[in-house]
Amino acid sequence: MTLSDIVGKPLAMALIALLVCGLAYPLFVTLVAGVAFPFQASGSLVTSGNAVVGSYLVAQNFSEAVFFHPNPSNYSASGIDPTITLADAYSQIPRISNASGLSRSLLYGIVDNATSRTEFLFGTSYVNVVSINMYLIRRYPMVYGRYASG
Amino acid sequence: MLSLPQLLWIAMIWAIIIAGAWLLAKYLFNVYTGKRSRLDRFLEPVERTIYRLIGVDPSVQMTGREYFVAVLLFSVFATALCFAILVLQGYLPFNPQHFTGMRWDTALNTAISFSTNTNLQHYAGESTLSYMSQMAAIQFEQFVSAAVGICVAVAVFRGFSGRFKGIGNFYYDFVRSITRVLLPMAVIAALVLVSAGVPQTLGGYVTASTIGGGAQTLAVGPVASLVSIMQLGTNGGGYYGANSANPFQNPTPFTNWLEIALMLILVTSMPFLFGRMVGNAREGRTLLIAAYVIYGINIAIAFAGATTLAAGMETGLGAFSSTFWTVTATSTMTGSANAALSAFNPLVILAALFGMFIQAAPGGIGVGMVYMLLYVVLTVFIVGLMVGRTPEYLGVKILPKDIKNAVIGFVAHPILIMVPLALAFSVGAVSATGVGTGPTGFTQVLYEFTSAAANNGSDFMGVAANTVFFNVSTAVVMWLGRFIGIAVMLVIADSMLHRQRVAQTGLRTDNLVFVAVLVISIIILTVLTFFPVLVLGPILSSLQGLGTI
Repeated sequence: MTLSDIVGKPLAMALIALLVCGLAYPLFVTLVAGVAFPFQASGSLVTSGNAVVGSYLVAQNFSEAVFFHPNPSNYSASGIDPTITLADAYSQIPRISNASGLSRSLLYGIVDNATSRTEFLFGTSYVNVVSINMYLIRRYPMVYGRYASG
Repeated sequence: MLSLPQLLWIAMIWAIIIAGAWLLAKYLFNVYTGKRSRLDRFLEPVERTIYRLIGVDPSVQMTGREYFVAVLLFSVFATALCFAILVLQGYLPFNPQHFTGMRWDTALNTAISFSTNTNLQHYAGESTLSYMSQMAAIQFEQFVSAAVGICVAVAVFRGFSGRFKGIGNFYYDFVRSITRVLLPMAVIAALVLVSAGVPQTLGGYVTASTIGGGAQTLAVGPVASLVSIMQLGTNGGGYYGANSANPFQNPTPFTNWLEIALMLILVTSMPFLFGRMVGNAREGRTLLIAAYVIYGINIAIAFAGATTLAAGMETGLGAFSSTFWTVTATSTMTGSANAALSAFNPLVILAALFGMFIQAAPGGIGVGMVYMLLYVVLTVFIVGLMVGRTPEYLGVKILPKDIKNAVIGFVAHPILIMVPLALAFSVGAVSATGVGTGPTGFTQVLYEFTSAAANNGSDFMGVAANTVFFNVSTAVVMWLGRFIGIAVMLVIADSMLHRQRVAQTGLRTDNLVFVAVLVISIIILTVLTFFPVLVLGPILSSLQGLGTI
């Protein structure tokens, strides 16, 4: 076994692999993703006017009575789970209806439209809190106008 | 308990994976036997350039020892490069959050963790690593450790097969693993993940002014390119501390089930590849069925309790998929997570430990099948003793030196788990981390060393283990856990290569009877070995939970 077998070849292989897999690959994926899926690639950001007000994928503090509230942050493993169960969403409807003046049946319809299931056909039914609250803000400016900036 | 729809769902997922893996194995066979392909026009010039740059002749056959030395030295240099990047990240580009270099012992642990395909993480990526580190240290090692795993498997298969002129050339196998298997699959998977919401950007973290009036930091980055290779290559080390529980790493049920499929596809194709390389598809299918029977038993144990977990999970992923993920991640040595391990029913932890004790059902990329062959050697030996015949496999006599090597490979695992486990408690290293002293605390430390020795990387201690003792001890365990098994199996395969082959006479190894014998001997060997520590940890927790003790 020569010195080249012990140092040269494995080191050169590692350096080339670093350039190809550690730089060229993620940069190429970043480039293509940025062109093909710019919204998702930058973090599914929620904008209001010119301002970034959050991400559709990350829970934020919707504490006011007119909004659907996310789970307390220590309920999930991530601490930023934007989803709640359908039952949880239903349980919040009376409060939101009282505070916003939107009818309960209207809110039930909105929740049902926003519901997905963890195994598509079965499994836990859940609602994304950020998506549904942003929908309310944009659909009902008379009620939610002061939360829409810009 | 599993419901009927859940059982059908698992059956459907497995059917899709197994069909995909069968097709993939056909392609892999062509890649590693040098069959002509339409890709040659584009890839051969690239590959020839790489061979010329590193100065190797890819047609030269290596001996088992040469192959092992090449694997080992390559891994040493990959580890050194990764360590350097982690420590020096403060001076390198792609660092928009201005993170400083990692502490030496955490960097050593991380570099070894990723080069051994373990991905134990004693840090939280989003608050520790620059984009440069996430790419050139982490993703780099996730590719190369996966490629090394496949190379070792292919070399061992060649030795067992005897239909090839040697066990192959490491550089040839490695380059083709990158250019023809891992890179194309990872690029496609990464782009699908981005389309479903996983970020992929080099722009810095985003500060949002939330609706409620506060500021929120959104940790984005080159996430999708990491998640794809982390799952495909059974690495498991996430971009975020919460791994795939973090919604950026795993935003929807679609990404969740896709990520589960990614960790199974290559490991499931390995037994089919083995069948093709030894020239008898039935031999490969036997090992696949054995692996999936044990994996299925692990699933059954995990779901045996009334509830698997009630909190500590993402609502939009659910308890069923989180439990299925955890068992799959520990049966495949991926070790990624989409829920908090501490929240699970102890039975799920028990199933996870079984997966990591066995390491072969279906096991980590490449290495899992290598361990399955180690169990095959031990099983034909035990059966040979019972019926009084010379043990043989694929028409090759198994010699005493093979058994000695296989036993070294088998015994290394419990030694690498139990010796540091005892040491950690006796020198007071556990109490220094704040981990409890009851059965749960014991399970956490047992889990830590099991995960390290099996090169799994799922983590029950997390950043609590970021102490010099745990960083250095698990680094040593990961390194030995990786290379002892690889060394003994390359030696066995190399010595089988030129051994005389005769028509099979003894025990048939390509039928369901052998599946049963293999599964039973694997379970007996591992359960007997690890029973005492299981009683002290998860079994005691489980009995306490039931109110029996």
